[in-house]
Order: sequence, then structure tokens, then C-alpha cells
Amino acid sequence: MNELKHLKHLSEAKSANGINFLNPAVSPGTHCPMRMASVIVEEIKGLSSLLVGMPECTTHSRLFSPNPEGTQGELHWLYVLDAHEVVFGCREGLVEALHTMDNAGAKAILIIGTCVPELIGEDLEGMIYEIQPQIKAQLTFVMLGQFKNVSYPTGSWKTLRAMGALMSEKTTDPKRINVLGRSPVEEHIEMPSLLPAITDRGFSLSYLAPGANLDDFANGRKALLNLVVSPYAQPLAERMKAEFGIPYLELHNRYSVADIDAIYEELAKYLSVSWQNTFNEERQEVLALETRAKQVLNGLRFILALRIDLPLPLSVYLGQLGMNPMLLHLEEYYPEDKKHAAALMAMGYDPLICRMVNDEFDLETVEALSPDCYFGYLPDWERKIPCIPDVFDFYGTVGYRRTHHLLMRILAVIDNDELLEKGDR
Amino acid sequence: MGLHRFKPLPSGRMGTLWTLATIRNTALIEFGCMGHLLYSGVSLKRAGVIDACKLFSTHIDETDIALGRTERLNQTVDNVIRHHHPAVVFLLPSAIPQVIGTDIPALGKELQAEFPGVRFLSFGEGGFDVIKHQGVTAALLLLAKELPLEVAKTAEPTFNIIGSCADMFRFQADADELVRLVKRVFKMDPLCIMTSDTTVADLEKMGGAHINLVIRREGEPAAIHLKKRFATPYLTERPYGVDGTTRWIEKIAAITGLSVNATELKEEQQVTQRCLAPALPTFRHLVRSHPEETRLSLGGHADVVKGILAYGCEELGFYQGTCWCDCPQMGNDRIPYFSESEWITALEQHQKGFLMTTGEALKWSGRNAEMQIANPDTQWRLYRQEPPFVGFRGAIHLANLWMNANTEED
Repeated sequence: MNELKHLKHLSEAKSANGINFLNPAVSPGTHCPMRMASVIVEEIKGLSSLLVGMPECTTHSRLFSPNPEGTQGELHWLYVLDAHEVVFGCREGLVEALHTMDNAGAKAILIIGTCVPELIGEDLEGMIYEIQPQIKAQLTFVMLGQFKNVSYPTGSWKTLRAMGALMSEKTTDPKRINVLGRSPVEEHIEMPSLLPAITDRGFSLSYLAPGANLDDFANGRKALLNLVVSPYAQPLAERMKAEFGIPYLELHNRYSVADIDAIYEELAKYLSVSWQNTFNEERQEVLALETRAKQVLNGLRFILALRIDLPLPLSVYLGQLGMNPMLLHLEEYYPEDKKHAAALMAMGYDPLICRMVNDEFDLETVEALSPDCYFGYLPDWERKIPCIPDVFDFYGTVGYRRTHHLLMRILAVIDNDELLEKGDR
Repeated sequence: MGLHRFKPLPSGRMGTLWTLATIRNTALIEFGCMGHLLYSGVSLKRAGVIDACKLFSTHIDETDIALGRTERLNQTVDNVIRHHHPAVVFLLPSAIPQVIGTDIPALGKELQAEFPGVRFLSFGEGGFDVIKHQGVTAALLLLAKELPLEVAKTAEPTFNIIGSCADMFRFQADADELVRLVKRVFKMDPLCIMTSDTTVADLEKMGGAHINLVIRREGEPAAIHLKKRFATPYLTERPYGVDGTTRWIEKIAAITGLSVNATELKEEQQVTQRCLAPALPTFRHLVRSHPEETRLSLGGHADVVKGILAYGCEELGFYQGTCWCDCPQMGNDRIPYFSESEWITALEQHQKGFLMTTGEALKWSGRNAEMQIANPDTQWRLYRQEPPFVGFRGAIHLANLWMNANTEED
């Protein structure tokens, strides 16, 4: 198709910046990273924020963080650059603003730099280094110019990574484990059975994610181990490993029973515990589903659309089930995605990659490609192509149960006579 | 601008966007990062702007910035024209192209040559010292300069409304009330509701109108231009209250030479008076015995504040409380401009009387959200047939709000 000539294959991807738009006219486009930062800071109790930008960014941030003050004394204030500051920098004004917030009682402040501060090279790191000794509130920052950070995942992972600067407590608790990437209570996301199994064996879990307290982050260094349950939290885990020597295990990108078996075993060894039969039942259920899925899905061609957190690990798993990736929308390309890309290519697949930024035009292109099904979201109200939606909501859950839910959803859509005829059975 | 707790003064770019985004069979392409337009689009949807101008962004990345590349704009234009066939394409810069000095008007000229079947209009007002009201003014003026065709006056009397834009709170309901009134008392149809309910074809026909009704001062330069070009007289006024609306109608009659349908006007007035009648004794009692409870404190657009204040004070005998406007260039002794810290102080010090201002300020201060007369808004407004503030129906609506506010205070 001519419409796809401008796209790269997965083998050509080196970073998130090299992924081209499927169609050039953006409408409405993907969320700005500033959105995720605004949402996250509002959900960490005790954390204040100062969003720095132009009237557009500061105004729009109030869609996500509508209240200037939180219930526990948090301040979510805005700093708007004027014409002079766009040319000569806003350092002086920012320093004054931070003193004002400090005097108003902020305990810790995350400074969120948006496009123009990043474009004009505002040195927030240097400014923090210089003024931190004069300010009681702990300071950290994140730069989120969208011209450098195309989509929203960067806003999540960079913001969570920036929280590493607020980890002040230095003692270690050998019975403490951090869970990076979910809250203890998530309204719509099931608690993975692994986590209570860990606490049953005498360990305490501290959850570092939106919904946590500032104190949970301050005590983050006390943990023996970090368990990563979301791609957005892995860069924080990397930072904590590099700066504090805390190891981590990735749970979020394991879909197959074999992969989950391996990481659970590694965790058990690390903690010197045994899972015994804790996960047997759910594991057996997934094994049976995997067998059925391999029969049903083999040879079906798929596309990944919007709202998928882990497109490459998911594609690897679907490839293991025999499915053939045609086109992948990648919202982000994490450093660790290179190994997932290599795994996919080792299976003989090298799909096209893109960013879908125009709901209407992209749907037309996807329809023209005639995949057997697609995953994620497109405004396809007529459902001309079988779709497995809502893959996004697996964020924060891991293990056998997640795979069970995933396979059930796929089979509910695919396991019908018409599609079965298309597969290689 | 500095430190803010609340939404800052919108930029000229935002004012331009809010002016253009309601025009049907057009496309608007913003050269800049996509988040800008994504959230502008969300705000417009929340304000009830549906099925109007198609909004597109080009996005821009660091390589584009470093190399001064603008190919994304050409690709987007090509894609949009092929899929949507807009009559006019509006080109806007976002903040980044303003910083790096991208020449959007020059690019617009190049695109015009490349796509001769589509009209391109490039909008500036993206400077960092330009605020919303200037953006609205410039956008209305550019539309008035560029789109109207040479047409004769319509055989039957017609009118345009200038300045009904999506940045104003309840802009659609106010425009609907004014159109209803003018149609009823003058049997005069609108040619163009600029810009809240219009198409390119409507804008092209503007010159045929017999009068331009300018409902906010930002529309006056456009009206002056249209007067020079088409000799169309204009009236700049936002009518509030019974007497205020009656005077407005009389002025239209005087300017156009049209006679008012006295029967229709009388019926409008009588219906309004009958609706107001149950409230008037309470208002008179309050004014006489509890004057502090009729202090009218208003914050918002200067023309809105001025109009509601005149209705309350001149027609109902209320007293002026603390009143302010939201534009540094529109303040005067009676209605000064208040910065954020000044209106926060005004809200904190407000004790008795009626307080009407932005949804954002009312929500934050825990005041009666029904008393909103200005944006920033905090709610969705999908239903456009809400009660207006202007005109006879607006007079009843405002009185109703004041009665309820007084009842709640009791």
C-alpha cells in the first residue's frame, strides 16, 4: 500500500523518535506527557507541583489537576512565562515562586517543565542544585516538552523516575519489598495473586505509584527488592538500581506460562521462599487456554491499535500463539523493548510500526489492510473488523490471571467459525 | 505572568482558536505539538462546540525545530484537503513556532499556490505579549476582511451578529436569544452569527446585511471594516434587562430605519414583566431593608459585567458591590481589571450580596455554582438551549438566579 511506504519496520526502530505517524494529519492525537505528570502528582498524597509553561499548557493542565490545593496541604500551582521570560529565561521568577510555595507549606515539589521551558533550555537541574539548601521543601523536576516526548507514556515514566530524587531514608529493611507501578487498592484492576502470596511469607509490600503517600516514596530506599508491575515504573526501578543498588524484577512483560513460571521461580529464590501449590489452579487454567488459543489463533494476522501498554511484549506472546503481526502502533519504545523486538524478529516477524494519531483516517487505513483482527482502540463503531478492546486495563496486574483474562477476551472474539476458517487449522 | 493558582489569562492564540473553531465547513491546522490542540478540542467539546470546524495538528519534533522543517504542515494540509474538502483552511501557530519564528503567513501563501481550490487564512496573534481578547479581535477582523464577497444588500432586512465566540460563557444561548428577539420584533433574519453558528457561505454573505449587531467590544474593528466596505451600520451593545433590551431594540430601529412590531415587542415586555412580578416585591424589600444583600459583585468579561450591573442597579435598585473585568485593556474606574490575587481577595472578602463570576472561582470558593457568568468553566455544556443572560429571557433568568441565591442565603 502506498499509504504505508513512509513507515519503518520494527527492525529499523532505534528509539521512540523514529516512529512515523500512520497518517500525518493529527486529530485528535495522543495525550501530552504533561497530562500524565499532572495526574500523577495530584494522586501522590503530600506531593506538591509547579507546572511551568505557556498559557495553553497551564490552562489545559487544569483539565487533569483541577484544584490548586489538595486535601493534605499539597499545592498544585502554575508558573506562566511572559514574553520577556521566553527570551531571557524564567529562572529568577521560578526561584521566587518556589520560595513562595515553600513558605506556603509545600513538603516536596515536583517541577514540571513543558514545551517552551524545554525549548529555551531552562536549566531546572542547576537551579534546584543551587536553591535546594535555601528551601525546606524537597525539590525534583521533570522536563516534558512534547516535541521531545511524543506521547503520554513518557510523562508517566519520567515523572515516576523523578520521584527517585525524593528517596531520603537510607536504612534497609530486609523484609520490605516495593511494588512499582500500582496502588494497594486499584478500583478496576485486580490484585495479582502473587502479591498477597508474598505478604503471606512474612514480607511487607510498599506500593510506589499514583495513590501512594509522599512518605512511601521517601522510604523507597529501605526495600530489599523492587517488583515492577508496569512499564511506566521500570525507569524508576533502573534509577533505584543505579543509585541505591536495589535490584528489581520485571513482572509486567511476562505473558506466557513459561515466562511467568521463570520469573516466579527467580523471585522465590531471591526471597528464599517456596510458592508450593499457591498458583497451581490458575496456572493450569491458563495452560488449558494457551493450548486452545494456539489451535484457534494460529496464522491469524493482527494489528495493534491505540491504548495498549505493552505492544511489543504482547506481540511476542501473540507470535508465540501463532499470530502474525502486520502493523503495530507503538506509543513508546522503551530501552528494554529492544529485547522484545529481537524476540519477535527471531520468530520471523518484522511488522511495520507506526503512531496512530488520526482516529478517522487511521481506521480507514486499518480497514484497507484487512487484518483478521486488531487489538486496542479505534473508533470502529460498526466493528467491521473483529476487535479485542480494553487491553489497556491490564495495567498494574501481572501473572497467570492477567494472561487468563487476555486469552478469554481474545477467544471470546476470535473463537467463531468464520475466523477459524481463516487460520491455519 | 508568573505564579498562578488558577488558569492564567488565555493567550492570543487561544482567543483566535476559540473564535475560529465554531465555523462549519472549515478546517483549522495548528503547526505545533499535538497536545495543544488535543486539549483545546476537549475544552471546545466541553463548551458545546460540536460538528463545527475540523481541528488538526501537525505535531512538531526536535528535528523539525533544529532544521526549521515545515513539511509536516504540507503533508497535513494535503491529507486534510483530500479527506474533508474544507472551503477554508485556517493556519495557526502554537507556542513553539512562535519561539523559533516560523513564518506561518508565508507558508500559507505557498500553500495557497499549491492548493488553489481552497482558501487559506493564516492567523498571527501568537506573540507572547498578546492575550485572548486581542486574539479574538484580530481573528474577527481578519475574517471580516477576507471572507465577505461583494454582494448587494438583501431585499428584505437582514442582520449579522458579531462577537458570539466560544470563549464566552453560554455564548450559544445568548446568541439564540438575540436572534429570536430581532426576528420577532423586526421580522429580520440573520445572515451570519459570527462565529458561533456560521458557515463560510454565511461569512461570504455578510456584506448583504442591513445592520451589524456587535455584542462585545472585540467585534468593533470588524464592524468598522464592514461599515467602510459595505456601508453597513453597526451597534455595539450587549443588551441586559428589560429596559436595556428595549433600548437596544429602539437603537436598532433608529439605525436601520425599520419599524418595531409594537405588538410583538409589547408582548415580549409583558411576558417578561409577568415573570418578574413575583420577584419584584422581594427585591424591593431587600433594597429597602437589607441593602447589603443586594450588593451585586460581578467578575468576568467587561461587557457582561457592565450589562448585568446596569440591569441590577438601574432597573432593580441593587447596589454595586466589587466588580471587575478579566482583561487588562478593558478596565475602568467603575469596573477595573483584577489580577488573580485581586479577585481572590474579592472572593475572600465577599460576605453579603450576589456574587457572580467564573465557574472556576465559584467552585474553588465553595460559592453557588449557578451564579456563573464567565469562563473559565468547570463543567460540560453539551445542551445549548440553556437560559441566556441577555435579552428579555436573560432578564428573567438573572432575576431567577438572584431570587434563588437570596433564598439560599436565608
